[in-house]
Amino acid sequence: MKISAKLRRSGVAALAVAAVIGTAGIAHAATTLVETGSSLLYPLFNIWVPDFSAANPGIQLTTTSTGSGAGIAQAAKGLVQIGASDAYVSDSLEKKNPTLLSIPLAISSQAINYNLPGLNDKNIKLSGPVLAAIYMGKITMWNDPKIKAMNPGVDLPDHVIIPVHRLDGSGDTFIFTQYLSASTPAWAKTLKYGTAVSWPAITGEIGAKGNTGMLSAAAANPYSVAYIGVSYANQVAKDGLGVAMLKNKAGKFVLPDADTVGAAANSVVTDTPPDERISMIFADGDNAYPIANYEYAVVNSQQPDATTAGAIRTFLSWAITSGNSMQYLSKVHFLPLPDAIKILSQTQIAKIQ
Amino acid sequence: MNLSPFRMTLLGLSLLIPAALCAVVLFLLIYSGQAIGFNGLHFVTDINWNLGDLYDDPVTVKGIQVPSGANYGILVFIVGTLLSSFIAIIIAVPLSVGAAIFLAEAVPPRIRPVLSMLVELVAVVPSVVFGLWGIAVLIPFIGHYIAPTGNGYGLLAASIVLALMITPIIATTLLDALMQVPKENRESAFALGATHFEVVSKAMMPMVRTTLVGGIVLALGRALGETMAVLMVSGGGINILPTSLFSPISTIASFIVAQLDSAESDPTNMAVRSLAEIALVLFIITLAVNAGAKILSSGALHVRKRQH
Repeated sequence: MKISAKLRRSGVAALAVAAVIGTAGIAHAATTLVETGSSLLYPLFNIWVPDFSAANPGIQLTTTSTGSGAGIAQAAKGLVQIGASDAYVSDSLEKKNPTLLSIPLAISSQAINYNLPGLNDKNIKLSGPVLAAIYMGKITMWNDPKIKAMNPGVDLPDHVIIPVHRLDGSGDTFIFTQYLSASTPAWAKTLKYGTAVSWPAITGEIGAKGNTGMLSAAAANPYSVAYIGVSYANQVAKDGLGVAMLKNKAGKFVLPDADTVGAAANSVVTDTPPDERISMIFADGDNAYPIANYEYAVVNSQQPDATTAGAIRTFLSWAITSGNSMQYLSKVHFLPLPDAIKILSQTQIAKIQ
Repeated sequence: MNLSPFRMTLLGLSLLIPAALCAVVLFLLIYSGQAIGFNGLHFVTDINWNLGDLYDDPVTVKGIQVPSGANYGILVFIVGTLLSSFIAIIIAVPLSVGAAIFLAEAVPPRIRPVLSMLVELVAVVPSVVFGLWGIAVLIPFIGHYIAPTGNGYGLLAASIVLALMITPIIATTLLDALMQVPKENRESAFALGATHFEVVSKAMMPMVRTTLVGGIVLALGRALGETMAVLMVSGGGINILPTSLFSPISTIASFIVAQLDSAESDPTNMAVRSLAEIALVLFIITLAVNAGAKILSSGALHVRKRQH
C-alpha cells in the first residue's frame, strides 16, 4: 500500500514535470488516455489506475463516471479514448459507427434485492415473469398466488409491493430489462430493453437515482423490491436487505455467486462471436445465474495517431491480463473473463491503430 | 456618442450577456427543430414518454428517422413541475412571512443582522444537500408516519424540499421591504392605539404586499428550475399523472438529467433533440414567471416611492 501510494505521488510529480515540459514545447509528455462511462465500472478503473500507472509511467489514464450511454456516445465522437459500458454497442449504433469495438473487460452480475420484514434472510424465490408482472403492475401484492406458488412454506405478507427502478439511464436497467424480455414474451413485446425504458404506470412505484439511490430507497421502504448491481453487495448486506433466488432458463432457482455467474459466463463462451457483442442474460445451464453480463470498453479502432492507439492497446491488454486478477476484481464482486474470451478480446485489441 | 476604448469595452461586455441568452435560445430552437416537427402539439398533451427501441433499426416517420416505438409526451413532467412548485409556495409563504415579521418586529435590533444572515445562509446551501437531507430524514419520516402506502418518495417530499429552499428567498425579500416601511406609519398606528398585531397586519403588510408577490414569483422561478434535490426525492414518476400527495412525480429539469444518458445512445439523436425541446418548454415557463416577477416588483418600487 505504502509503495503504491509513493508511486502514485511520484507519478503526480512526474506528471507535473511532464506538464511543465509540455508547455515548454518539448514532445516528451506522457500519453493521456481518458476513460468515461459506466458508474459500475468506475470503481474498478479507480482500483486499476495506480497499479497500471506504476507499471506504465508513460501513460496517464484519467477516469470519470458519467453513464454507459455517455461512455458509448463520447467514444463514438472521439471525445474520449475509452468508453466504459455495461452494454455492448447496439446494432443500429454499430451501423452508424462501424469502427467501434466492444471489448469485454470483466464479468458483472446483478442481484434482485427486497425488503420484507422478517424474510430478508430467507432468499425468497422470484422468476422473470413474476418480476415482469410486478414491474408492469399486474402483480401488486406480496402474497399473490404466483409468488406463493414459488415459495411454499414462506409466510408472505399481505402487503402492496413497492417496485423500485432506476430513474437515470443505467446499464443495470439494461440487463434487468433484458432478463425480463428474455424470460417474458409480454415484456419483450411491449417494453423491450434499454438503459431507460418507458416504465408502466404504477401508483406506488419509486424511481431512484444511481445504485446508491436504489439502495436507500429499498432500505427506507419495507415491502419494496429493487435491482442492484452486485458491486454494491456489501452495502446491501449491511442494510440487511434480502437477496432473491432467481429462476434461470433451466427452471432452477439460483443465487448470484462466483459459481452461478461463472456458469453463466461459461455457457456463452462458445457462442461468443468475434466482435464479442453477446448477451449473457438468461443463459443456458442448470447452475447459470440469469442476470450476468460482460462489462465493456468501447473503443474506436481508428485512432488519430499511433501513440494513442499504442497506449490504448497497452492498457486494455493489461486490463484483461494483470487487471483481471481477483486481487482487483473481488473488491467490486466482478469475475475474470474466461480464457477463450481473453483470446477474442486480444484479437480485437490488436485492431486498434 | 463618445466611442472611447473604455466605453467600447463596457458596451461589448454588456452585450455579452444578452448575446449568450440569444445564443442559448437559438441553439435550443435549431437543435430541437426536428423534434418539434416530429412531436407536434402532441408533445405537451401526451402523458406517455418512450425512448423507443434503441437497439433495433430506426423507422422513418414523417420523413424523420426515429427509434421504433418512440413517443415523446411530457404532460406528466409539466404537471409535476407546476404542482410541486405551487405546493412548495403554499408551504413556504406562511413560513417566510412569519419569519420576516418576526425578524422585523420581534427581534432586538442587535441580533437582527445575525438572524437575518442565518436565513440568507439557508439560501446558499447547495441543493444536493437538501436532497440528501430529504433522502436521509424526510422520506423515512413521510413513509413511516404520513404516507398510507409507506412510500415516502413523491410529490409531498419534493414540495417540502423545494419549500425549504425557497423560504429564505421570500423571507429576505419581505424583510427588506418591512424594514423600509416609514417609521411614521408604524408609530402613528401605535399612537392610534393599535395592538402590535394590528400594526403589522393593517399598517405594514398592505404596504409590502406587492413586494411579497414579487418575492413569491422569484421563488417560484427557482423552484421550477430546481433539478438535483427534486431528482433525489421525487420518486421519478413517468407515464403517470399524480393522483395524490404521495404519487411519484418528475419535474422537467430533473427528467432531462435523468434521461440524458440513455438518450445519448439513440442513434437517430431524436431523444436528445426531444430533451432539448423539453428544455425549451421549461425555458418558456421560467421566462413567463420571471417576466411576471419583473412587472410585479417594479410595481413594488412604485409603491415605495409614493410613500416618501
